[in-house]
Amino acid sequence: MEISLIDAAAQGFLNILHLHVFLAMLVGVSIGTFTAVAPQGLGMPLVYAIMLPVVIRWEPVTGIALLIGASSVSAVCAAYLPVLFGIPGGAGSQATILDGYPMGQRGEARRALGASFMAGGMGALIGTFTLALAIPAARPLIYLMGSPELFVVVLWGLSMVAVLAGRRPLKGLIAAAFGLLLATIGQQEQSGIMRYVFDEPYLLDGISISIIALALFGIPAALDLALKRLGVDQQPAPLTGKLFDGVKDTLREWWLVVRCSFIGVWVGIVPGIGSQVVDWLAYGHAAQSSKDGGAAFGTGDVRGVIAPESANDAKDGGDLVTTLLLGFPQGVVTALFIVALLAWGYLPGPEMLKKSPELVYSVVWIQGISAIIGTMVGFVLANQLAKLAQVRYSIMVPIIFLFVLMGSFSVTRDAADLLTLVVFGIVGYFMRRFGYPRPAMILGLVLGSLMERYLYRSMASYGFSWLTRPAVVVLLLLAATSFFFAVRGRMKTMPKSAASGGPALAG
Amino acid sequence: MTANFTLFLVAIFVGGIWYGWEWPYIAKLMPVYVAALPGLALGVIQLVREASGSEVRRAEQAEGIEMDETHKVSIDAKSELLRTLAFFGWFIGGAVGIWLLGIVIALPVLVFLYMLVEGGERIVPTLVMTACTYGVIWGLFEYTLQMRWPPGLLIGY
Repeated sequence: MEISLIDAAAQGFLNILHLHVFLAMLVGVSIGTFTAVAPQGLGMPLVYAIMLPVVIRWEPVTGIALLIGASSVSAVCAAYLPVLFGIPGGAGSQATILDGYPMGQRGEARRALGASFMAGGMGALIGTFTLALAIPAARPLIYLMGSPELFVVVLWGLSMVAVLAGRRPLKGLIAAAFGLLLATIGQQEQSGIMRYVFDEPYLLDGISISIIALALFGIPAALDLALKRLGVDQQPAPLTGKLFDGVKDTLREWWLVVRCSFIGVWVGIVPGIGSQVVDWLAYGHAAQSSKDGGAAFGTGDVRGVIAPESANDAKDGGDLVTTLLLGFPQGVVTALFIVALLAWGYLPGPEMLKKSPELVYSVVWIQGISAIIGTMVGFVLANQLAKLAQVRYSIMVPIIFLFVLMGSFSVTRDAADLLTLVVFGIVGYFMRRFGYPRPAMILGLVLGSLMERYLYRSMASYGFSWLTRPAVVVLLLLAATSFFFAVRGRMKTMPKSAASGGPALAG
Repeated sequence: MTANFTLFLVAIFVGGIWYGWEWPYIAKLMPVYVAALPGLALGVIQLVREASGSEVRRAEQAEGIEMDETHKVSIDAKSELLRTLAFFGWFIGGAVGIWLLGIVIALPVLVFLYMLVEGGERIVPTLVMTACTYGVIWGLFEYTLQMRWPPGLLIGY
């Protein structure tokens, strides 16, 4: 018997009231904080890739607590590097540099960080609240969706790679096709046929997505640190000023926080926009809507910190709306989250919402509670965290080596895991060097198996007549329309950019 | 060099089509028709663009976001090459070390040597990090979580 959503929400809360779940959440918060603050912002994709082989052996709620705990707090604490060093703390906090760094240089680093924590915490809660409301709102629609509709939704998500790839759509699509091809290695679930196995038992179950993600993101991240030798020459801005001034600023600008949080949620929900633009959209909105015409923006205006940080943190809630309710990811982090859910035996999307709504609500609770803990950690440990940002490359690179090698070797504990890691580490290096977007490949890899599953079910149940189902036709039209407008928008901007001489959002 | 990597991807797609062509329709639908054939077509277009120089012009003129981090290094090409080779030497050496010596021995040794030789760290922080590494690998995984790591090819423990 299906339980009501109120019961599911209550059960979801009760499921996280265990010591081991809270401990996992705290460990996740600590990892997320360190990741956000560590030199060059190691990035959540790498952290998820490292944690994936470990957490899939745990029971689901504990594993989810670790993963969501890490990702929700990493956005809250992402302002350290922009404010103290003037470098991005990962995608979504690039715009913070424009005003955060000038504030840090004129002795208001703590004020900027206080505003960032408060705005980030409020944004994360608004995002979580939206996610909680989206579940009952979407439930009637979810019941209309079968395998054919879900196939089209996943296809839609994949087609958006061309848009997500922004400046390099062709390379994005090639990378996605490469990911799709890799996803088919191993014994086909539906027919039992061996594909690209070459008589190697290691390839029977396919190549682990964890190892590929570790290699693609871990090795280039460590190489970046080794090349730039960060932490040796850099001098941070002085950590002076008052955190509470930033809190007061944020509370005074509460309406800006609400508006930018909803921009973040929107970016999270809509396929094809991506985290790279969320901060710029919010920043642009804040500058355009300010009464002074945005004249002070870029010179150390605290609103230039509040706007991107609130949007960046709220986006996670929007990301989870499509991930949990439709089962397709908006980026690498949610793609790897889907991999974890699949490993635990859940099929994200309508099936999970029908069969395990309490787990969906556990995710919502963990997301909200982690954001509150992360905000508190930011306030209480501001000084200590600032010191973490100065860890030298000579310490960070071995730490990455440790986790990447250990993480990949723990998947099957076969020497072939190490060979796979080395091969894809080199592939990841060349992809990054030659502008082939790695997230597109990971999306292809994750969505490939989902697409094949939904396509097979559709063909087995309906033959080709699934193409005429009304919901499929509507979704196909929507997908085609959004793809057409996205591509047309790109073509229109090409001559303009040629005239203006460069990219607008690349920072 | 970019064309070489594109050529590598094109070769992968060709291999994927060639190897999967004889499979039944249900098995080759995704790998051949959905992934490899479109990938090959796009790869060839990309190769032509790179060969004709239009890729460089387009990259200079293109507007919009970057989906991924871009390769930006502010050091000279020779230093970059040397540091990259050294990095991959350490990384591949670590992987080979795990294969030969086992992870419990190889990773602490890798951390110790990297910090001391490549990073130029002092001996005390190097030893502390090495001990922490050993603590994580053996203390946490082997002892606390009872997760046994396989021995190396040369040394069992």
